[in-house]
Amino acid sequence: MNTNRLSTVELREAFFMALYKKVFPSFAHYVARMGGSQEAAQDIFQDTLVIYYEKVTSAQAEIIVSEKAYLLGIAKRLWLQHYKIDSKNQPLNDFDVEIVPEEQLATNKILHYLETAGKKCMELLKAYYYDHLSGVEVSELFGYSSIHSATVAKYKCLEKVRETIKQKSLNYADFIE
Amino acid sequence: MNNIKAIDDYLSGGMPTGDALLFEANVLLNGDLRDNMQHQQNTYAIIRQYSRQRIKGEIASVQKILTTAPQHRGFMLRIANLFKK
Repeated sequence: MNTNRLSTVELREAFFMALYKKVFPSFAHYVARMGGSQEAAQDIFQDTLVIYYEKVTSAQAEIIVSEKAYLLGIAKRLWLQHYKIDSKNQPLNDFDVEIVPEEQLATNKILHYLETAGKKCMELLKAYYYDHLSGVEVSELFGYSSIHSATVAKYKCLEKVRETIKQKSLNYADFIE
Repeated sequence: MNNIKAIDDYLSGGMPTGDALLFEANVLLNGDLRDNMQHQQNTYAIIRQYSRQRIKGEIASVQKILTTAPQHRGFMLRIANLFKK
């Protein structure tokens, strides 16, 4: 997939909207047949789109032959995991949705602090490490004069956030109340 | 810059093998470097959580557009009909 088409909020909105129109009716039909609610179907589909987005933007993106079949597969498995007792034998390790131990550190309070005190940095780091945008795309998106400037800013932000986490971790008990 | 780039290169697998071996030896010998590496791993985890929240927010906005915008009323009615008993 060419991730250029997903580098801005507007492009991602169009991407998610198209997937909704294309795949959600089939999934909703499945959930309705299984006795689930529309709200539940929407919640599961939201998680499905997050997983799919991470898949198509990842550094090791695989070739996906049928987008619709792939999305339905994820959504149905998530549905089973959440709503069927006998789904215990179907772990979703391949979808990487489990929270790793390190992430337990990321409490809402730390996230909230970073969102308010370092939003620009978090957005820059998101572009590099989550959206996996290229140096050129990041430079254009954030208004840097060169890839080098964007890279320097990335490392400065990484250091700033790391230092914040380090300080918060040292006072972790206080920080989480 | 406090080993930020070296740790980043190492953790992303972008460090050449020889340099990576040397780096691993330094991690064993240098407690500060070890701590920094742990904090940097936590940093990546937090970036991921932050980013997931942002993407979920964008998807929720799309859901809201679908449920409220007149041009999508027909689509949403067809969906709602699926759930009528």
